[in-house]
Amino acid sequence: MLIHRPDGHVATPPATLAPSPAVLAGRRIGILDNRKPNADVLLERLAERLVERTGATVVRTETKNAAVACNDQVLGLLAEEVDVILTGTAD
Amino acid sequence: MTVDTGALTGSPPDGLLEIRDDADLVTEMAGHGWGDGLPLVAPTAERVDAMLAGCADPGEVVAVLPPRFGEATRHTLAVNAVMAGCLPAHLPVLEAAVRALARPELNLRGVNATTHCVAPLLVVHGEVARSAGYHGGLGAFGPGNRANAATGRALRLVLLHVAGATVGDGDASTQGGPAKYGYCVAENVDASPWPAYPTSVGVDAPSAVTVHCGEAPHNVHDMESDDPARILDKVASAMASTAQNNACISGGEYLVALCPEHAATCADAGWSRRDVASHLFQKARLPVAELKRAFALRAWAPWMERLSDHEDAPMTDHPDNIRVLVVGGPGKHSSVIPSWGMTRSVTLPIDPVGGTEPC
Repeated sequence: MLIHRPDGHVATPPATLAPSPAVLAGRRIGILDNRKPNADVLLERLAERLVERTGATVVRTETKNAAVACNDQVLGLLAEEVDVILTGTAD
Repeated sequence: MTVDTGALTGSPPDGLLEIRDDADLVTEMAGHGWGDGLPLVAPTAERVDAMLAGCADPGEVVAVLPPRFGEATRHTLAVNAVMAGCLPAHLPVLEAAVRALARPELNLRGVNATTHCVAPLLVVHGEVARSAGYHGGLGAFGPGNRANAATGRALRLVLLHVAGATVGDGDASTQGGPAKYGYCVAENVDASPWPAYPTSVGVDAPSAVTVHCGEAPHNVHDMESDDPARILDKVASAMASTAQNNACISGGEYLVALCPEHAATCADAGWSRRDVASHLFQKARLPVAELKRAFALRAWAPWMERLSDHEDAPMTDHPDNIRVLVVGGPGKHSSVIPSWGMTRSVTLPIDPVGGTEPC
């Protein structure tokens, strides 16, 4: 018996993460806090450790609501000003 | 234990699968990550063609649905409609609902991905509800009516298969919920004392759908009141809870499904739909101190953040966020359906009813 697939085509390939830089020394770190409980604590502490260990610098911290996509203005600022973004997803 | 899925080897044409005639379809589909766990109707070419009979361009992309970004063509909708047990008359309703899902204000990406139990509720309005057999009367939320059950289920299958809202990958709901199997009802406009719901949101069409992404219905029981305020205060008490997402999101919507008798009590006293919403806006409140104790993180309008701790805050920041319609039959039970919060309901016309262009 032949049946139709129920899923159809995917419109665009799913976005993939950019490759991570091999070395963080001298890189600019941005924090994108999704405002879930303790996300700020975790992300800021992680950034501090990275700065201590690698010589990277934290240049921008932004927040977003976890329930909606980050707005283009914030994404644009981050794209211009940072090399690495630390962020969280879900809870 | 090894499960024989019944799959055959070979390469069927693009978009088709070949399975043994005696294969268990649920098991076969589950092997691909498809299905909702319940028995399915096999989407054979004959059945899908019958579902699409008279429809415009089956290949037209009706919507692109996140998080998978699957293309919901009219053909793909028909496949899922067949699987769910729909009749051809239900397909235009499904198509309109899928168009609604894709509206940005509905925020389907968030609705699908959240840990909350939110599910899209499909409300069918107008002529198509009568002609295609949708039910808004006694026991309207189910079970028992094919149009409601099959179309609600088809919408979920589209979310699972096309949108990729599968548990774990595209749906992080902590506990899931029964509304995620199928959630469809008709507005009981014949028993409503007010104009059809779509007109209250600017849609004047013979047939329409509303998609409201919310929790399962919260019951409101009042057997004895002949005073609108007394009934609606109980509705307000069902709205005013720190347990809901809406409590920390001030723009959240509430769908208030009044039973005909409660609605009649309101209307007989001269209350309009707007009056009902205004009363609920005034009465569905909690002390600011209680809300702030419950939520350190809030997405509140600035004016709500400036309220003093000794004041009461409304559960939503505007009466327009309280959407009132009539559902159900005899008896005195209404319901409140809180939204997920970061989503807006969408009402769209179905045009034309029973027509063929588009389906």
